[in-house]
Amino acid sequence: MADIPSQQLFDLWRKQVEEGAQTWLKMLGQGQPVDPQAFWRPFMDQGMAAWSKVMTQGAASPDLMAQWKQFLDQWIAAWAKVLEQAMSTETFAQAMGKQLESFLNTAGPVKKAAEQQVEVALSALGVPSRSQVVGLAWQLVQLEEKVDRLEDRLDAILKRLNELGPAAKAERV
Amino acid sequence: MKDQQFTMTPDLPGVPPELLERLQEEAKRNLLRMKHFGEMIMNPKEPEVGPTPREEIYRKNKSRLWRYASKRTVRTPLLFVPNLGISRPYIFDLMPKGSFIEYMTQQGFDFYLLDWGVFGPEDNGLTVEDAVTKILPRMAKKAIESSGASEMSVLGYCMGAPLSACFVASHPEFPLKNYIDMAGPIDFAHVGLFGLWLDPRFFDVDKYVDTLGSIPADMVKLGFKLLKPTMDLSTNLNLWWNLWNPDYVTGFNALNKWANEYLPFPGEFFRQWVKDFYQQNKLIKGQLSMAGRLVRLERISCPVLAVGAKEDNIAPPGCVKPLIQAVSSRDREYVELPGGHISLIAGRGASVHCWPKVAAWLAPRS
Repeated sequence: MADIPSQQLFDLWRKQVEEGAQTWLKMLGQGQPVDPQAFWRPFMDQGMAAWSKVMTQGAASPDLMAQWKQFLDQWIAAWAKVLEQAMSTETFAQAMGKQLESFLNTAGPVKKAAEQQVEVALSALGVPSRSQVVGLAWQLVQLEEKVDRLEDRLDAILKRLNELGPAAKAERV
Repeated sequence: MKDQQFTMTPDLPGVPPELLERLQEEAKRNLLRMKHFGEMIMNPKEPEVGPTPREEIYRKNKSRLWRYASKRTVRTPLLFVPNLGISRPYIFDLMPKGSFIEYMTQQGFDFYLLDWGVFGPEDNGLTVEDAVTKILPRMAKKAIESSGASEMSVLGYCMGAPLSACFVASHPEFPLKNYIDMAGPIDFAHVGLFGLWLDPRFFDVDKYVDTLGSIPADMVKLGFKLLKPTMDLSTNLNLWWNLWNPDYVTGFNALNKWANEYLPFPGEFFRQWVKDFYQQNKLIKGQLSMAGRLVRLERISCPVLAVGAKEDNIAPPGCVKPLIQAVSSRDREYVELPGGHISLIAGRGASVHCWPKVAAWLAPRS
């Protein structure tokens, strides 16, 4: 009879979790009908079976830790599924887009103003600003690109010369 | 006399000796867990990554071409093209006996890695087109020159697969021997959560890039963490469970270092990547053009292997597999292996499933 209190506890917890998940998904405005029990049930049943076994064993067992780990793994996996299902809705994507947009609306002007102030301060101190350093680095990148192109052209000329070499020799002969 | 001997296992009436032994074992593990936890907190050691010897062959701006030491018994060299930005490429050479590169070099492959590097604000103008038509061809050319071979195999992983596919499909003069796509999205209509989140109805990429300039590493991290919010929880739970095992702790430290080292994206690269690939899916539709060259996947006619990972939520198998139908190769194969996006190529599972499969497919064709 040792498993009766735990059984009741788990029943109560399961009910809470299922109701919570349902409400949560409803709040997110899930377009497609979902059955949270479908992915909660195997996890809950396995957990229940494992814990019933533990409770009826009586004596302390080292398996307790393994069962607890298994229980947590299944719990995390179940939550991962719930979250994945919620995050794969258009409502979530829309909400995230709006969140990002409001962040950009706030961050944009702040970033610009901060950059301008730093630029002015550095200029007054006679120190090169970030944008000037970035500009210099950009010029170096462009210079490297030009050198690469020159190398390509040189390679092409050398290749052509190598091809022409035997042909010219043959002509002379 | 046995009763008089001192033993570590006390005789407790009514308790089976096997149970006592297991309890002792569990107690020992708990002590080791505490010891290793204390070491991790009080005396954290910087994990050593990238054990395979290598030499730098060429560098262009931030990008490097590395050649790894090997017996070079396989005739055709292999160019490995990973993702640009997001994370560092040492995940492919994480630690001894846990390295894809080490495995491939031990199999005799002349292995070249293109390390795109860490781009700064001065590279914000770099586009996907630049990566495909300026960096990749030069690196591939230098790899061929360095190897002395006349042909080369290319292996693209993650974003490196569509990038390298764009390169080989738009540069028919490149002597491509074999092509491998590992967990690389090709048909972005089936790319999962990222596809939905980056949908133009919800995500204004222009505003994003125009405001931020480049995509900060923290934003990249946020995106990937959001993809699987329970990942950190399960990682830490597994760490606690295996904390008694020093080998596990060593592996965890190396992987954890990599997993928390995110890289920024150049702004224009991100804009083109999102628009052309995620939002308009131009690659599989044959509508992508790079520096005036049309990218047509059907131009790839060499042997092709596409590898998908069953639990991949970054490049789900559904977006990897369509490469097989898009190319014109006669010799083409798609395999779906267990694991996720990272565990496909790194970790114990990869050493069992993925690496031998890739090497066994590639070696006879090289």
